Amino acid sequence: METLLAIFTIFTQPQLLLLVGIGTFAGIYIGAIPGLSVTMAVSILISFTFSWDVYPAISLMVGIYMGGVYGGSRTAILLNIPGAPSAIATAMDGYPMAKRGEAGQAIGVTTVMSFFGGFIGILVLALAAPFVSDFALTFQPRDYMLLAILGILLVGSLSSGSLVKGIFAGAFGIAIGSVGRDPLTFTERLTFDLQIMQGGISFIAVMIGMFGVSEALLQLQNVDKVAVRQKISKIVPSFATMRKHLPLSLQTSTIGVIIGALPGTGGDIAALMAYDHAKRVTKNPERPFGEGAMEGLVAPETANNAAVGGAFIPMMTLGIPGDAVTAIMIGALFIHGLNPGPMLMIDQPDMFWFIVGALMTANVFMLIFGLTGIRIFTKIVEMPRSIIIPLIFLLSIVGAYAVNNAISDVYWMLGFGVLGFFMRHYGYPLGPVILGVILSRLLDDNWRRAIISEREDLGRFFEGIITSPLSLTLFTAVILIFVSQTPLWSAAKIRLFGKAST
Amino acid sequence: MNPEFRGDSDHHDGTSDATPGGYPAQRRPGELGFAIFLTIASLVLLYNAYGISGLGALSAPGSVPMATTFIMLVTAGMVTLRTARMPKVANETMANDILPLLIIIFIGFLVVFGLMLKPVGFAPTAALFLIVAIKVLARRGWGYTLLVALGSLIVIWLVFRVVFTVLLPAGIVPEAEFIQIFRNLLSGN
Repeated sequence: METLLAIFTIFTQPQLLLLVGIGTFAGIYIGAIPGLSVTMAVSILISFTFSWDVYPAISLMVGIYMGGVYGGSRTAILLNIPGAPSAIATAMDGYPMAKRGEAGQAIGVTTVMSFFGGFIGILVLALAAPFVSDFALTFQPRDYMLLAILGILLVGSLSSGSLVKGIFAGAFGIAIGSVGRDPLTFTERLTFDLQIMQGGISFIAVMIGMFGVSEALLQLQNVDKVAVRQKISKIVPSFATMRKHLPLSLQTSTIGVIIGALPGTGGDIAALMAYDHAKRVTKNPERPFGEGAMEGLVAPETANNAAVGGAFIPMMTLGIPGDAVTAIMIGALFIHGLNPGPMLMIDQPDMFWFIVGALMTANVFMLIFGLTGIRIFTKIVEMPRSIIIPLIFLLSIVGAYAVNNAISDVYWMLGFGVLGFFMRHYGYPLGPVILGVILSRLLDDNWRRAIISEREDLGRFFEGIITSPLSLTLFTAVILIFVSQTPLWSAAKIRLFGKAST
Repeated sequence: MNPEFRGDSDHHDGTSDATPGGYPAQRRPGELGFAIFLTIASLVLLYNAYGISGLGALSAPGSVPMATTFIMLVTAGMVTLRTARMPKVANETMANDILPLLIIIFIGFLVVFGLMLKPVGFAPTAALFLIVAIKVLARRGWGYTLLVALGSLIVIWLVFRVVFTVLLPAGIVPEAEFIQIFRNLLSGN
């Protein structure tokens, strides 16, 4: 009963409902406008909602997250430009459909399927998270440490780009996170004896720099690109179409939840894997994949929205983010004095159920906004980049400054923005950096706890890993990811993906 | 879908977020230099991390920083070696594709923004920045530039100062009085 009350908190406070609505609406546009990303928006928003209560702040972010994952599909279909990485796979069949004059239908199917996938993801979150958190209580410090390493490695290896660069990015993130005074011994770490580094580097400045400034700098290079307009017809899809794709959408939603729930990996990878899966299981598509197959829309869109619910599972139960956006949300919860992890689920179950309720609501809003307002949508997306980019810079500066009212944070943000800009150019993934920054403290604390409890004996530490099934599984997974970097594995990978690429 | 897909072949096409650029088998202008820079930076960080607590206990405050900076050094070194062996991308130059003048100018704008923020205050600095930035990017008349820049600044200011109650440096603008006037307006006095 209390659970139900917590889920419906959102309906008892019109203000929260409104915020989820605004968030979802804004998210759809942020996701849709190329150059604006959900990660960017959420990281800038943390500092703006700093003075708010935690519920309204979370409501807004959840809305933006849900809407944003969906919104990327719009521009993918209409312009062949995925507004967000999770929509890359959507463009492959969505744009061909639009070229045939079926843009409306494509958007309709995408919307309903995103809703469906989102719903499955939230359902799994609601059912699985309480069990996972019970299980999480048995986790040893070394398990947390291994999970954190696993998360950083996973995002480095599954996202595009080389694993070595991914590992570098992750280690760099952990190093950034350890700058400042050590919380246990108060020793200065990596401060170069500089006054400004003693308090550590504000992770919000790092995030806004990496995801806001660096993106805007990159977008400066294609300021003059003009969008092409598409005609939009009937939108609401028929019930028969939906029923036909039900089995596939169930499968791809499952893929989405699982990929989302793995620490570090989110909607973009889920969508690509689901697309690949759809290609393998669909025997007789009405049209070939890549030329406007409906299945090619259903799969990535169910999966990326299902991944949203999935990503919250490790975040709420272990305090380990499921993807970059949940990493930033963990930061937001920290700022509001909450510590995500198994204890949060026990001490404040309301918080968890509130998030479930907010996700549900955002999902419904997404369906409503998705099936309406297409005409305004095309107008807003055509907003020239020459205006958007300066505004992103402005918001980034305000956001970085606002958290601590410190100009030094603005410079940190600029520095990481420029660094992130080069990292993007040269193929270093940025996701692991953020994960590293967020997980640095958890990794450090748990490593030290684990090794102290083994009396500083590495032999006993490894013995502990080998004798515990959980630790052993995690440890094996970490090793496997490393092995996956050897030439043997990459040959297998080419066979796996090379065949699928079109 | 090619997992190595990096957007269109010679320019970033607007796919955003953590999608990295670069090519799997070719080296972009400056890529080697960047890799060397990261290697040297990692070395400096490792030396600094060693200085925290030396090679003492495994649970010492310096152990995790040392481990991570060591991993950074090794991976950055590997990347440098790999990059050095790759052929250059044929049709790209530093000035055209990686760091065009426009971007350097904007980084300069942002630094100046940071310098001016505290002494001059948010509103005038932001107004100046938006006007100059939009003028440079949109290349339209002054009327359009001023209208768009000041219009969006007013919206941003209202949203963040009043709705989000974010504190911004007031500088030379009598902001508190202005907000009071605005609040009075809203409350109907």
